[in-house]
Amino acid sequence: MNLAVDIVKHGNKNQAERFVRERLHNSIVSACLSVRVPEGQAETIAHAVCDGVITWLRQRPEVTSQDIRTVATRHLKSHHPEAAYLYEQHHMII
Amino acid sequence: MAKKYEFDYDLIVIGSGAGGSAAATIAAREGKSVAIVESDAFGGESPNWSDIPTKALLHAANLYDEARHGARFGLRSSTLGYNYPSIRAWKDLAVKRTGAGGNRRYYESQGISTFNNAAHFLSPNEISVNRRHLSASNFLIATGSQCVIPDIQGLDTIKYFTPRTILEAIRPPKSLLIVGGGDTGVEIAQLMAIFGTKVYIAEKSSRLLPHHDSEIGELIERVLSEQKGVTILNHSRVMSVEKDGLGKRAIISRAGTEKSIRIDEVLVATGRAPAVDLGLENAGIKYTAHGIDVNDYLQTNVKHIFAAGDVLGRDSHTHTALLESQVAANNIFGRNKIVPDYTAIPEIIFIHPGIATVGLSEDDCLKRDLPINKAIAPLNIIARSNTSDFRDGFVKIITDKKGIILGAAVVAPHAGEIIHELALAVKYGLSADDVAQTPHAFLSWSEAVRVAASKLV
Repeated sequence: MNLAVDIVKHGNKNQAERFVRERLHNSIVSACLSVRVPEGQAETIAHAVCDGVITWLRQRPEVTSQDIRTVATRHLKSHHPEAAYLYEQHHMII
Repeated sequence: MAKKYEFDYDLIVIGSGAGGSAAATIAAREGKSVAIVESDAFGGESPNWSDIPTKALLHAANLYDEARHGARFGLRSSTLGYNYPSIRAWKDLAVKRTGAGGNRRYYESQGISTFNNAAHFLSPNEISVNRRHLSASNFLIATGSQCVIPDIQGLDTIKYFTPRTILEAIRPPKSLLIVGGGDTGVEIAQLMAIFGTKVYIAEKSSRLLPHHDSEIGELIERVLSEQKGVTILNHSRVMSVEKDGLGKRAIISRAGTEKSIRIDEVLVATGRAPAVDLGLENAGIKYTAHGIDVNDYLQTNVKHIFAAGDVLGRDSHTHTALLESQVAANNIFGRNKIVPDYTAIPEIIFIHPGIATVGLSEDDCLKRDLPINKAIAPLNIIARSNTSDFRDGFVKIITDKKGIILGAAVVAPHAGEIIHELALAVKYGLSADDVAQTPHAFLSWSEAVRVAASKLV
């Protein structure tokens, strides 16, 4: 389920796009896999982090992409600090 | 010539409580274009859910309590009772009459644009309020604070009260566990105990009111336990809570042993934390979970953004927030920057007997290694104590070695009124001799101030 939350992208004339849970989920999984977290665990962590971010987003109709990164990092830190560090520091995790 | 950017407003104030409202009004009166953004009810915490409603309820409770114990003065009070819905109606009337609660129209009449939604910074000069982008050349953050919910196992599975929600309870619970023995916990403990609730207070430290001098905590502990039947559990940590039939059961760890108590309701009064979740990172504002960092002029590291009130994370009260708001308004638009003067800010707990402090406490002086003299005048040595048949309380004055008053504490009926004489003394550096030489009316509670001061001469 995607929330009706607009994500304001920086450096793009403040253009907004809808929040897509799938994209956040994939980025968390990628960060976890990059620090050699087993695939199943990465999925579980990503699921928990996405739930945490969505709970935070419920009261906010519009946030920035940096906010998503900050909140996701905060949640990810409690599950896997190393992955959280990578997620926080790398803007593009492939 | 550098391009001058245009903004929607000269000032956007985020939060309409004491920290924000004064600044918004001052700026609007100076002809600036101002917007105020409030995520909850206009007026903020104090008039809507904390100071005003609590004190209105405490006033009714204390009247009831005094009348109930009037037999010793020859009053017949055996048939005295109360109707809690009517008491709540009185509380609502008091809130309504302040004019500060839910007063969106007041701001609009001052020419201030109002927005009733949460604000979120998108950039240093722009916020989003329900998808509407507002920009300003200056901001004042006065979002206040929110209740801290401690990490207690099972707390998320039960319905519990906060200091805000307990004021809306349909009736006082039969029994209540208060987690936290600070100012709010003690006020609500007395309120509920007067209305017949069996109250337990679980406090982690060795006494109630741990932020005040030990004499205060010890006296209030005695008053609450002996006169109001409150069970005080010091050195206690609530480990878990769970549903138990229609009530709740709490496991409390005390001095290495675990104790289980069954209660009807739980109140979490473990303090407040600054409300800093408004996208401050997007504006580049430095902050921690303990509050927004500001300099002496209440300016954040982003020079056009100021902050005032509880969001700074200091021991703040409505009157302190109001002072900071006025200072911030001056510093945002004025050429001569000013610094808020915190030296003589009184702090009051509205229980019976009242507690009021000002300036440095004895613990503060010890921490700063200040050589001091102190004197305590117990209430029972003054005449008023006899005519009112009330003996629990004292006036404590702390001076430096030259006799200049550094701080004071009053535990007495009407302590909140008595303390202002000592606040004046602290602010203007008066000596204990100055206070002792000032005539104090016979049969006033303030006589205890003169007695305490004269002990230091």
